[in-house]
Amino acid sequence: MNVVLNNERVLNELRKVQDPDLHKDIVTLGFVRKLEIRDGHVRFEISLTTPACPVKDQLRDQAIALVRAIPGVQSVDVEMTAEVRSTPQLDKTALKAVRNIVAVGSGKGGVGKSTIAVNLAASLAKAGARVGLLDADIYGPSTTIMLGVHTPPPPMGNRMTPVDVAGIRLISMGLLVKMDQPLIWRGPMAHKALQQCLFETEWGELDYLVVDMPPGTGDVHLTLAQAVPLTGAVIVSTPQDVGWQISQKTLKMFQQTRVPILGIIENMSYYICPHCQERDYIFGHGGAKKAAETLGVPFLGEVPLDQAIRSRADEGLPVVTSDPDAESSKALRSISEKVAQQVSIRNYTAPVLEVE
Amino acid sequence: MPFSLEQTSPTRIKKSSPQELLVVWADAHETTLLAPVLRGMCPCAHCQDEMTGIRRVLPIHIPDDLELRKLELVGQYALQIEFSDGHRTGIYSFQYLRQLCGCAACKALASS
Repeated sequence: MNVVLNNERVLNELRKVQDPDLHKDIVTLGFVRKLEIRDGHVRFEISLTTPACPVKDQLRDQAIALVRAIPGVQSVDVEMTAEVRSTPQLDKTALKAVRNIVAVGSGKGGVGKSTIAVNLAASLAKAGARVGLLDADIYGPSTTIMLGVHTPPPPMGNRMTPVDVAGIRLISMGLLVKMDQPLIWRGPMAHKALQQCLFETEWGELDYLVVDMPPGTGDVHLTLAQAVPLTGAVIVSTPQDVGWQISQKTLKMFQQTRVPILGIIENMSYYICPHCQERDYIFGHGGAKKAAETLGVPFLGEVPLDQAIRSRADEGLPVVTSDPDAESSKALRSISEKVAQQVSIRNYTAPVLEVE
Repeated sequence: MPFSLEQTSPTRIKKSSPQELLVVWADAHETTLLAPVLRGMCPCAHCQDEMTGIRRVLPIHIPDDLELRKLELVGQYALQIEFSDGHRTGIYSFQYLRQLCGCAACKALASS
């Protein structure tokens, strides 16, 4: 058999590699770049839509195996890179350099929303993305404590600079008000504060801006939904029905303002006994997953009650970076990959609206 | 909700003339709305009583020559319109814009 080894031959093989989320092959999607063939040595780059891609290894292995099998191929060298795509319309706002904004919401307080937001941001950053975190829980900002930040950053002219911590660029109301001072604000002030944090911060280029929302449905939520085209929202719930029923209200609010729901995360799903390692579903099991199925939104995963999360947070360290092998870290990492995956799917499928 | 998500998702919004707003929807339907009608049906709290829903401003109160000045998206669910009389507080949700479509089919659906 005398088949010429050329770009076309290699691309034809690579067309057999399907992206499981976008349902197209990697060549059609434009993921294959910088293809070079020299004396049977094939090199190319696969540029994914997120560095936190959960099927990264699978796609690479499949591509290598297919190209390796072409007669005449001596070696295959693949570089995996990523270029996060922008949410449509977001590039037309004042936040041009921010490609995606993901809100983390819940129906009530105390479900671990900030813990999830911090670890989601830290996970994405660890995977290689440029990540910002905006703590919009103006009445009870806690991300500064979880990340061990105590001093506000020096302002740059009349703009705010975020604090660099754990690979994240952080802005929090906790940095702008004194720790021991409660915030007693009317709605319009909350609205103004959020707008300032969003638009008057020197974010720089960001792939993902994670926004930790206050609990419930209020001024801050409406302001955010009106101020920017959000990529989507994730809802944090606990297994208990009461937690879930209230989260549903948050879900409905996001739907009314057409913020896509990227999925539901169940926190405090189970307790791992430190002695026998057995899982104990103390608050019940499967509630959020069932609800996600009923509502037709993705279920992103379960995060266990794990002492590591709490103790690391108290030390000002996100568990995903300080204790990456903990059970909770694995769960949070998998969830962050699923969030990134949902963002990619949404940006790929979202209709483009033209306003002239 | 009488209209589906597709029927209330615009793919194109255009000021097709100083007085006309053209909205092309995801179901390929096209709606043209005149500035005086839009202004007269403004959903802001000043034009429509927040508590009772009773309209304080109606299209008959608006001069025929009123024009559209500026269009701006609000998040991803609504359009803010500034008119030539300076009024700009109305946030027209996509849902509401489709309800305002004057064609017989949409009118029937909107009142169902």
